[in-house]
Amino acid sequence: MSASLAPECNDVKERYDTCFLKWYSEKYLRNTATTDECEPLFRQYKTCLTKALKERGIDQMLEDAKADNKDNDAEYMKPSGR
Amino acid sequence: MVKFYSNTYSYDYNFPAVSLAYFLRYPNPYSRHVASTDTIERYFDPDTQRLTTVRLHVKQSRLPPAVLKVLPKSAVGSDENGRAQSFILEKSVVDVRQGWMETESKNLDWNNVLSVIERHTFRRPEEGLGTADHRTDVEVSVTLKSRIGEQLRKKRQRWGDQATASSVAGAGGEEEPVVKQGWFSSWSSGAVRAAVESISLQRTERSQPKAQL
Repeated sequence: MSASLAPECNDVKERYDTCFLKWYSEKYLRNTATTDECEPLFRQYKTCLTKALKERGIDQMLEDAKADNKDNDAEYMKPSGR
Repeated sequence: MVKFYSNTYSYDYNFPAVSLAYFLRYPNPYSRHVASTDTIERYFDPDTQRLTTVRLHVKQSRLPPAVLKVLPKSAVGSDENGRAQSFILEKSVVDVRQGWMETESKNLDWNNVLSVIERHTFRRPEEGLGTADHRTDVEVSVTLKSRIGEQLRKKRQRWGDQATASSVAGAGGEEEPVVKQGWFSSWSSGAVRAAVESISLQRTERSQPKAQL
């Protein structure tokens, strides 16, 4: 498993990653997923990560990138409809 | 000024396997420069069955010596060995129903020196399932853009405009040195940008085949 940029989040990240890989390969890729079953774990992981990003001052960089992405999304991520 | 690289190829693996491999890219012994990977957003749309993911990677690497030499010292935030850290934002959308995946990775910092946007499209082939079961087609495109000196050039242009406005009568000779200096500095930083983009394009061309999943 890959490491987190915040070592204090490594444990909760590993639990989330394990859940995601299982859900992704057993449900999502077989087209049988109805919800994101790992969402609760993701919320825990995200709480830890958000705190770490803020402490390291990386959150502002991400906010700026999100603002850019919103403009690109409207144009780029249109459904490919095959 | 922008440099562009693109390529198409295919993997002898089916689409689900390739898309899973994409999420499992790191860690791997060929990418030790990737220090960490974090998922910062994940959204599953139950109606379209599309999965959107945003991840943040931290890469530690050395700047190419050729790039270090052409960069003005102010732009370089690395230590004396040229070791630097950069943040990469990776966004991906997987559509399992239609059998495609689109990804976009770009650096969040160092954009004044070089911005790299790498896009991949993975697709299940359209031919009958029998023959194309174990293949995934890929399109890659990389856009490289350097902005070195742009800020400086914009400042000088603005200063040049102000000087022109204020020296309407007489002192017309003042304008010329301002304009000439602006042109010269934009030429040299343009050359630096072109150099940075060319070096980066060469490295992209060499490393892209090795970077396949």
